[in-house]
Amino acid sequence: MLELRNVNASIGIIPILRDLTFRIGAAETVALIGRNGAGKTTLLRTIMGFTTASGEILFEGQPINALHPPKRPGLGIGYAPEDRRLFAAFTIEENILLPAQAARLGKAETTRRLDRAYTVLPELRDLAQRPGGTVSGGQGKMVALARALMLGTKLIMLDEPFQGLAPALAQRYAEALRTLRDTDRSITLIITESNPSLLRGFADRTLVIERGEVAEGSLEPEGTKA
Amino acid sequence: MNFSIFLLALFDGVAYAALVFIVALGLTLIFGVMRILNVAHGSLYAIGAYTTVSLVGYFLALGFAPAFAFPLMIVSAILVGIVIGAPLEYFLLRRIYQKSEVLQLLVTFAVFMILEDVQRLVWGTQPYFNSSALQVLGNVTVFGVTYTAYQLILLPLIAVVLLLGMRFFLRHTIIGKLITATTEDREAAQSIGIDADRVFLFTFVIGAVLAGLGGALASPTTSILPGMGADMIVLSFAVVATAGLGQIEGAALTALMIGLGRSFAVYLYPEISVLVPYLIMVLVLLVRPEGLFGSPAARKI
Repeated sequence: MLELRNVNASIGIIPILRDLTFRIGAAETVALIGRNGAGKTTLLRTIMGFTTASGEILFEGQPINALHPPKRPGLGIGYAPEDRRLFAAFTIEENILLPAQAARLGKAETTRRLDRAYTVLPELRDLAQRPGGTVSGGQGKMVALARALMLGTKLIMLDEPFQGLAPALAQRYAEALRTLRDTDRSITLIITESNPSLLRGFADRTLVIERGEVAEGSLEPEGTKA
Repeated sequence: MNFSIFLLALFDGVAYAALVFIVALGLTLIFGVMRILNVAHGSLYAIGAYTTVSLVGYFLALGFAPAFAFPLMIVSAILVGIVIGAPLEYFLLRRIYQKSEVLQLLVTFAVFMILEDVQRLVWGTQPYFNSSALQVLGNVTVFGVTYTAYQLILLPLIAVVLLLGMRFFLRHTIIGKLITATTEDREAAQSIGIDADRVFLFTFVIGAVLAGLGGALASPTTSILPGMGADMIVLSFAVVATAGLGQIEGAALTALMIGLGRSFAVYLYPEISVLVPYLIMVLVLLVRPEGLFGSPAARKI
């Protein structure tokens, strides 16, 4: 469902991604493992269109390189950046609703998707009216996931979601991701992480990224899922 | 200073503050969202005034009632926003958001200079005057002091409605929320599907309409002549800087401060009246460089 062909990306004049080529199948959960600075965040930002990149990125067979970045979430891509980036001017629920409003979804569809987000993260209902700037780091990550779910009907990309989470919260977060996979069997997940042990047993496939290249792991989805 | 002089200075100050605030609101909105200090804002103000006087003169000569001046003001403001504001953002400013502030300032200053000459080309250098709107509303007498209802009631009323309306618009409408989100974090906004380019274009047009509206509303109260745009951009910049860039409520309060300061100086120390707004600005910025209501780091609108 997502394919990268010879993708190079740089920030300023510094090359970050080098000739990346791999495919991710529908309903796969892929862990991108790498140290800080390996290029994980740049990879996700490149898929979202925020870097200067060459090569081809295909989403469901269609090239999206030239697609205006704000149009990409509308394809069904939800993205939760590492620094959770909630909008302080709005409440938690307003934060979660923003992507639906930007995409001009109808009322019924918006409610349906909000319910989906609350099914995965029921604890956010209690925080709904809190201002976006007042939640803890862990809660912020949950909100960022809920927000990504609003448009992420096909692909969810989470950048270091477990970074800095207290163990109990990390467990809760992983549980939420399991709920998501159980309730939506077709969802594709890409999760970056610097600690390889955290996603062991959770991801279908692990790609190790080093210095902007895939250093380890299969470049194709497993046969059953391709 | 006797009581009627005091009232007169008070009314002058409030009327003037209302006009300056309307222009400053556009300037601070554009700065708050796009981080561009648009010097050409002053030209948009002047062109709004010129357009209004021309349209009002044209339609009144055709036999329309003087009250028709009011819808023409709104038409002029919208024309300024769409005919000048939109192309300005789309073809020029869009290319320089990532560039240094000095370059941005130079570019908008260049646009200001060009538009000043365009005004001379279109309207010449002779002053225009048309106070139909002022006469339609007549005068009011408060404690023995007679003042125009247009300046004492209508202008402050419009300023307050715009202040409250802008706050409501940014916080409670969907377009306003998208603008607020883009202001806080452009990339995060784009990553959830907000088209920041369109948000910027829309914001700039609103700001330009406000500049044009300020000019339109000022037109019945003053002679329209070259240089009025320069006066207004400097003054509204003083208001915006004193309040803290991007601070909407703050701009309302500092507009009042500067308007009153200036009008009382006119009666008490006429020699320094022109200087007073800038004295206030300098004093405030000496104590609080980020402005009365600004915070050094937080970015919001």
